[in-house]
Amino acid sequence: MEKISWVIRKKDCMGCHACEVACKQEHGLGVGPRLIQVREESPDFIPIYCHHCARPPCRDACPVEAITRNDQGIVLIAEALCIGCRDCIEACPFGAMQFENGLEVAVKCDLCTDRLDDGKTPACMDVCPTGCIRLGEKKSIAAVFERTA
Amino acid sequence: MSKVKYVKTICRSCHGGCGVIAHVKSGKVVKVEGDPDSPISHGSLCSKGLAITQLAYHPDRVLFPMKKDKRGWLRISWDEALDTVTEKFQEVRDQYGSESILIGQGTGRDFESHFSRFGNLLGTPNMITAGHMCYLSRIAATLTTCGRHPAIDYAGNPECIVMWGCNPLWTNPDEYKGVSFWNAYQKGAKLIVIDPRKGFLAKKADVWLQIRPGTDAALAMGFHHVIIAEGLYDADFVSEYIHGWDAFVDRVISDYPLDRVEQITWVKQDLIRKAARLYATTKPAGIHWGVPTEQTNNCIDFTRAAVGLMAATGNLDAPGGNVFHQPPGTRSIAEFSAHRSLSPEQRAKQLGGDIYKLASRMTIVTPKCAWDAILKDEPYPVKAGYLVGTNPVVSRANAKEVYTALKNLDFLAVSDFFLTPTAELADVFLPAGTWLEQDHVADNWKFHGYVLARQKAVEIGECWQDHKIFMELGKRMGQQWWDTVEDALDWLLEPTGLSWEQFKHKGFLKGEMKYYKYREKGFSTPTRKVELYSTTIESWGADPLPKYTELPESPVSQPELAAEYPYILNSGLRTPTFFHSANRQLPWLREIRPDPIVEIHPEAAKQHAIEAGDWIWIESPRGRAKLRAKLNSGIDPRVVVAEHAWWYPEIKTPDHGWDISNINMLTDNSHESMDPLVGATNLRALLCKIYRCEAE
Repeated sequence: MEKISWVIRKKDCMGCHACEVACKQEHGLGVGPRLIQVREESPDFIPIYCHHCARPPCRDACPVEAITRNDQGIVLIAEALCIGCRDCIEACPFGAMQFENGLEVAVKCDLCTDRLDDGKTPACMDVCPTGCIRLGEKKSIAAVFERTA
Repeated sequence: MSKVKYVKTICRSCHGGCGVIAHVKSGKVVKVEGDPDSPISHGSLCSKGLAITQLAYHPDRVLFPMKKDKRGWLRISWDEALDTVTEKFQEVRDQYGSESILIGQGTGRDFESHFSRFGNLLGTPNMITAGHMCYLSRIAATLTTCGRHPAIDYAGNPECIVMWGCNPLWTNPDEYKGVSFWNAYQKGAKLIVIDPRKGFLAKKADVWLQIRPGTDAALAMGFHHVIIAEGLYDADFVSEYIHGWDAFVDRVISDYPLDRVEQITWVKQDLIRKAARLYATTKPAGIHWGVPTEQTNNCIDFTRAAVGLMAATGNLDAPGGNVFHQPPGTRSIAEFSAHRSLSPEQRAKQLGGDIYKLASRMTIVTPKCAWDAILKDEPYPVKAGYLVGTNPVVSRANAKEVYTALKNLDFLAVSDFFLTPTAELADVFLPAGTWLEQDHVADNWKFHGYVLARQKAVEIGECWQDHKIFMELGKRMGQQWWDTVEDALDWLLEPTGLSWEQFKHKGFLKGEMKYYKYREKGFSTPTRKVELYSTTIESWGADPLPKYTELPESPVSQPELAAEYPYILNSGLRTPTFFHSANRQLPWLREIRPDPIVEIHPEAAKQHAIEAGDWIWIESPRGRAKLRAKLNSGIDPRVVVAEHAWWYPEIKTPDHGWDISNINMLTDNSHESMDPLVGATNLRALLCKIYRCEAE
């Protein structure tokens, strides 16, 4: 199966944070875990998000194999298996792994797999007014940069 | 499991207009999404709109009418609430006259037509809004200058966009949304950004002019200087369609040479020249301008000079320039508002009408005049008030005076979602519906040519949409209204041949665009031309030509004061998550922006030993507020920029912390500081000092 990948083009992120709220709504999250987050370093906006790495350090760090990478290349966590050790949070080089304090489990971006199955785009991408979130198969995401470099 | 119903509607978490699909399950909205079919937003939706479910179902939301007595707030019925308001208003009317009842709204929840109708039929000319310094002031200035508000025409593909004190991708764009701008920019339009802060748009710009806050009118005159001196104007348009061009040229050439403009605005001459040339020689070019230009004493002059730029370059009502969009054919808001039923005698009593001539023409009352009437009985007493969707205690200039005035009313009714610091001063609270609970022909007051179907997705508690509250209160006071909200909408839509039911299914209407309308009919001004020399303003004995007047409180006008208060304070920093005083209680949004922010240049911060994240005091000669420092190297070291309208819903005492981080503790609403024609408050350029909050 062709792998899915995605990228957020920082230079077109204008810091509206709509992606964050759309993500919270889609995943029913309250205050705390931010599966996608835009950090403000005036005048820059820096999106922090899961890159769904080919060799995910979060997966490798997990002592109970709760984190897996599926056929599409989407890195997922089985929250029921998570023991709350936070090793994955330490391991993630992007600061993308999050922790749900109430449930004492790690949580992460699932690229809205349910929406993808329905033929939709991830919730964050759907609301972005500048279209800086791009989703595609491996080759087409490379093309995003070639076209706009 | 119950099925999900999808309701297409229109957002109103800011001035609104974005299309939404509300997911309703078991009578509750469980989710909202952007509507890809929306001609306004094309499927995008911002953080404010997305968080509406947290507002609508917030545990602090008041879901029934209440009255206050010695024991505090008590639940009452709608009948008792409306009867109480009616009785109190009638007492005041009998004893003092209708003008002694003040009604007020904030930015509105799309009930402007109903608000004005209620006031007009009540017989009070005293309706306060934000209009003295936000949008209505630009409508007033453009009406006087060219007959109608010329909005930028993104649909006509501008090749050059001037973003003047505006970031429509973040906040409250009235006509077009950020998405329309972005699409035009992506197609390759040149971009000129005028902004004291280097933000997202400034970084994208071909030319960025980092202006001294509040000097936009001088910069506009500088643009004119380049355009005139270099012969870049449209000679045919100028000779045929501008009234007073020669006098205007004399003013520009003699008073606004570029070295002087540079001195006033801090923008280098070369950059002004570059920007003016780019704007004047790229066709078509449109100007998209924002409220900072209106929130100074130069409000009307800036707007008039900007219209002059559109006219002089031949971009007025030209495709891709600044155009007069055609209304979609519903009854006008003016007709619905029944302006004619306010008698000339009552109209003549409008507070401040004798001072602010342009305001009086537009039924704009600058709030200062209302506070004076309440506190000093000048020129007559104001005894009762009804405030709808507004929180002036934190959102209007000179907060202490606002608070004192509202406390001094004999009777105050407030309609809102929450017990805000303003609502806590009321005697009766009327619970309003959010946009999820509203049926309305939305956007019917805007100048983009659309009306949009906002349809009710749910009802929550005993809340009523504001339109119904106005109607039911009005009827109790003997006013002529319709039986139901829907009946009123049928009447509004009647000329289009559609009923409300039919319109709901259609979704929106748009007036058919026609450009260059002036070639047939001229402009709707006394001379039928663009009045750069205004015969109307001249008839009031004021300067008929635009100009720049130095800010009332600046290092230039008050050097001695500036020695003690060395920084220029822009008190209007906007956020993408909050709409003025709204949304501070929504967890998703407050997580993103937990604290009130003041932006300071790192060099300035260093001088005061302020580090990023420190709580600091910002102090003006009138008061101080505590905000959290954020360092921004993209502002001038002489300028600090603060967020406005902060209060703390989490503080559960009735003050809700209204005076802690409220930047309007510092702002000025003295008559001397305001725009002399419209009473615009000077919010974008004050003097202040900054210092760290020591441990308290």
